Amino acid sequence: MSAPSEAAPAVSAPAPATTAAASSGGFTFKLHPLVIVNVSDHHTRVKAQAACSGDSSSSSSAAGAGAAAGQPPRVFGCVIGVQRGRTVEIFNSFELVLDPVSGTLDRAFLEKKQELYKKVFPDFYVLGWYSTGSDVHDTDMQIHKALMDVNESPVYLLLNPTINLSQKDLPVTIYESELHVIDGSPQLIFVRSNYTIETVEAERISVDHVAHLKPSDGGSAATQLAAHLTGIHSAIKMLNSRVRVIHQYLVAMQKGDIPVDNSLLRQVSSLVRRLPAMESQKFQDDFLMEYNDTLLMTYLAMFTNCSSTMNELVEKINTSYERPTTRRGGRGAFM
Amino acid sequence: MAMDAERRQAELIAQFSAQAAALSSAPQLAALVLEATSHPALFAFSELLTLPALSKLAGTQYASSLDLLRLFAYGTLKDYKSNSGSLPALLPDQVRKLKQLSVLTLAESTKILPYDQLMQELDVSNVRELEDFLINECMYSGIVRGKLDQLRRCFEVQFAAGRDLTPDQLTNMIETLSDWLGTSDSLLHQIQEKIKWADTMSEVNKKHQKEFEDRVEEAKKSIKLNNLSRQTSTYGGMTTFSLNLEE
Repeated sequence: MSAPSEAAPAVSAPAPATTAAASSGGFTFKLHPLVIVNVSDHHTRVKAQAACSGDSSSSSSAAGAGAAAGQPPRVFGCVIGVQRGRTVEIFNSFELVLDPVSGTLDRAFLEKKQELYKKVFPDFYVLGWYSTGSDVHDTDMQIHKALMDVNESPVYLLLNPTINLSQKDLPVTIYESELHVIDGSPQLIFVRSNYTIETVEAERISVDHVAHLKPSDGGSAATQLAAHLTGIHSAIKMLNSRVRVIHQYLVAMQKGDIPVDNSLLRQVSSLVRRLPAMESQKFQDDFLMEYNDTLLMTYLAMFTNCSSTMNELVEKINTSYERPTTRRGGRGAFM
Repeated sequence: MAMDAERRQAELIAQFSAQAAALSSAPQLAALVLEATSHPALFAFSELLTLPALSKLAGTQYASSLDLLRLFAYGTLKDYKSNSGSLPALLPDQVRKLKQLSVLTLAESTKILPYDQLMQELDVSNVRELEDFLINECMYSGIVRGKLDQLRRCFEVQFAAGRDLTPDQLTNMIETLSDWLGTSDSLLHQIQEKIKWADTMSEVNKKHQKEFEDRVEEAKKSIKLNNLSRQTSTYGGMTTFSLNLEE
């Protein structure tokens, strides 16, 4: 199928090998957080090692520190998972060794790793590969094609390691390869695909844990209280903005700007019926009881503190004013 | 879960609307109304009501079908009983549907529905029948979710699907939503104040601690100086004791 000859023009005319618009493949991609954590960990490790070896021996490592000076080196690896029909679910990933000179993957290593993972996870297949960087590189198509003999349509996961605080979405993009006709000849190009994040319970717990990192010493009581309140604050703010959207929608509907949608109105009315969400005698009783219990405990703790401080004060007074009576002679002032 | 009920109905509504648009004669439309009101999964009739084809029914002998449709969209079993003269007789399917719709209307006003009120509205005489009706017809069909409290003889509604809205109900909803927004805004404000309060109180506490420590240091220093000056004036034998005090 003239694959080797196609590889040559792809290298010499790199421009068309990059991305186009959204994909039309119809595959649904589901990504697990473990993959994202793995890729970012791999990248951070390599970056830290390069920086560390860069500090110790500046001259020799400058050549081997990766692509461009000042740019973190790119890392590569394989993603594995399950493909059921049109749904591709990416569960895990492992790292690969890329030969920087020839730009090809170490096949023996890949096979070995594949075998090992097959033993532990018999259902998982190699679904594609990942890399880091801000955009698709021209050499990526080669690696993509090299993987095509393992999986006939691999996916390419790209993680952008530059931290962009204003960005709301994850810096992860999934690309598929499609055969498009460009300039009269069919060529494989990358097209972006949408994906959703899917979590297993264990992943949800760990991501939740990382998201709620507290200062290591537990902070003072005030910082813990502030952190807790901030969490509640942001949750309520989000609910507030959503309800505001519904409110504006209804007002516009009433004025006649928007055609009346009965089904939506019914859903909103059922939502409004749910308020007040918690209104019964039993709830009030339980709530007030718990509130009073907490107040009582605070009061008791305060009491205990005060009495212990008082005790110390009394002991100090006793100690400091007893001495003159037991000592012979004492200080001049007390004689 | 709320959306599933709506989605199921959306298909049925589309189907019935298409049928109504296709038919043109009054008796066929009346038959369609009959079919729609007896269908076990359809609870929303405002789309059908707004179809221009149905307004043709008004004024003809089939006007009662239009009234029936309007009853099913907005009314309850009680309304039917008070107007039973002008409305056609109902099939058992329709009676059941009207009872379900009545439960939805009741759930709109209060969250806790006493069994007595329900029995009166739905025209059932014993609790067992009422509970069976609530469980089989209302909860299994997904239009209502809640808890049956037999000890206190009431039905706590947690979720009820919406019925068709009359235009004035829309104003009420908008008012409720704006109240909700107002409450949550003030709540956000209060939370922010609490956060600020917590921070300022911890600052005050730290300052207080620091001041206290400073005063203790000062007192210690002054005692040391006093002892040093007194050492020269006390007996020689007492110097060992004053040395200990310097700790």
